Amino acid sequence: MAVVDQASPTSTPARGRTIVRQPSRAELDPERTHRRRRLLETALAIGVPVCLLLLWQAASAWNWIDGRLYPAPTEIGRRGWDLITEGTLWHDLFSTSRRVLLGWALGSAAGAVLGVLMGSSSLLRKALEPTLDALYVVPKLALLPILFNIFGLGEGSQIALVAITVFFFVWIATMAAIMSVPEGYRDGGHVFGAGRWQMFRHVVFPAAAPQMMVGARVAAGVAVLVIVAAEFLVGEDGLGYLIFSSRNLFINDAMFVGIVVVALLGVLFAQVLRLLERVLLPWVDHRDGGSGQ
Amino acid sequence: MTTTLSRTAERTGSVQVRDVRRTFGRGRKQVEALGPVDLDVRAGEFVSIVGPSGCGKSTLLRAIGGLIRPTSGRIELDVVGDHPLAMIFQDYGIYPWKRVLDNVRFGLDIQGVPRREGDLRARDWLERLGLGDFAGSWPHELSGGMRQRVSIARAMTADPEILLMDEPFAALDAQLRALLQEELLQISQRDPRTVLFVTHSLAEAILLADRVVVMSARPGRILLDRQVPFGRPRTPDIRRSPEFAELEDELWQTLRAEVTEQLGTQREALGGASDGSR
Ligand SMILES: Nc1ncnc2c1ncn2[C@@H]1O[C@H](COP(=O)(O)OP(=O)(O)OP(=O)(O)O)[C@@H](O)[C@H]1O
Ligand SMILES: [Mg+2]
Repeated sequence: MAVVDQASPTSTPARGRTIVRQPSRAELDPERTHRRRRLLETALAIGVPVCLLLLWQAASAWNWIDGRLYPAPTEIGRRGWDLITEGTLWHDLFSTSRRVLLGWALGSAAGAVLGVLMGSSSLLRKALEPTLDALYVVPKLALLPILFNIFGLGEGSQIALVAITVFFFVWIATMAAIMSVPEGYRDGGHVFGAGRWQMFRHVVFPAAAPQMMVGARVAAGVAVLVIVAAEFLVGEDGLGYLIFSSRNLFINDAMFVGIVVVALLGVLFAQVLRLLERVLLPWVDHRDGGSGQ
Repeated sequence: MTTTLSRTAERTGSVQVRDVRRTFGRGRKQVEALGPVDLDVRAGEFVSIVGPSGCGKSTLLRAIGGLIRPTSGRIELDVVGDHPLAMIFQDYGIYPWKRVLDNVRFGLDIQGVPRREGDLRARDWLERLGLGDFAGSWPHELSGGMRQRVSIARAMTADPEILLMDEPFAALDAQLRALLQEELLQISQRDPRTVLFVTHSLAEAILLADRVVVMSARPGRILLDRQVPFGRPRTPDIRRSPEFAELEDELWQTLRAEVTEQLGTQREALGGASDGSR
């Protein structure tokens, strides 16, 4: 909403001109401008994916791409509808969401607690950081056999896998966030005589929370990635299972149904977290609709 | 509209600074920031501190506030309550995640004062500092001077025994500054407490204080310690009296000698360096 400098030629003197500065519509009717802006933003957010879909549809209709390998969106939609009415899609979606949410919540909680502790104590940091750094680089899928031994072949290991993956992201983000709380903020607490818990509640945690939230949001995306892979390896249900088993049976349109639903799940999860962030961290300047990682 | 707790007749909150020094850094990067300083502040006394920039005024205040420890020497505060201190920081130090009212109530929250009473006392100070309409705003919506006033309100609301003020009026425009000086003068007369007040304005130092202390260039020592020759209650009219001008002049002469010398040694140091490189 740039302020408009209108340089308009006027009639009076032949050579002279008058520069007029006046309010634009944004100033005269801020409410309406805001509404229109929101409308435009929403239209873009929906319109761009819709255009891409139309392009895809056109591409298969005119045989630019092989419809058997890359079924048209309408085909995928039809298959999706079938899967919904049969009830299997709901079941897969529910199983996957449950694993993602549980794993994400457990991993975030553990990562936040350890991150806060390690961010606050340099001794603890020295003691644990090398070990955790080493574990961090181990591919988490490689841990799956070990998790089977511990949690058995079922839900437990898949949730644990998501939790472990999420844990590392949140742990690192939280530790960094706590350590980078400016000393000036703590000074205020010290002078006014805050105890350890008060310092945490009033100063350190709110100062670190926005950055912790970024970690949790990144971790949410990774959680979806990991669960799809895990379901492919061990699953009996879930979206990952749907994708890879359909692929093995050459049911390409069902495979794409799985991919699309996974993508939608990711979008939904990220959006919910943004909303949560707006509610929980109202002091953060969310001018850009809270996006940007 | 006095919601500030009225203090018992005997005042508390005296400060003894004994032979305090502070250095920063190690080895070749070591900087002598302060001292040795000796300073006694009686309970209820208002002491202004002036001195050249970088001489260690903030360092002294931070040491008294317990934010840094002296490198040597000793500081003693005689206080009664559990939360005897409040400080107004040179860079405000208010919290972006708290609304204005919550920022101002911060000290009371720490003290465990019930929310309702805390809100009343915080609002009272916001009103006095002309921020009544901004109780619900976020700090990023305020101007610099308004944030500074939030910081002042936060310290006053906590009703401390010892109040440390590090250039609290520096970010304010001249008119507002004069008004707040008067306000602070009235407050400190109605409800005396121990105040250490750092400022660069000699007139402000004299107007407000019982005593003015002039510090030397870094490492700051105390060069001059003068009682202000005006009783209380006093009004800003004392600025026009000859005694005021006399004291201001004495302080200025001392300060000027110090600043001139500091500039001189810096030039010498620069000259010496270029000589050495030749
Ligand atoms: N944390 C620190 N680390 C290193 N040096 C410091 C630190 N804090 C202060 N100093 C040094 O100590 C000296 C005194 O600093 P201080 O902030 O006390 O000055 P001041 O008298 O408050 O100055 P001003 O009037 O400009 O605010 C300065 O030379 C500064 O460089
Ligand atoms: Mg200073």
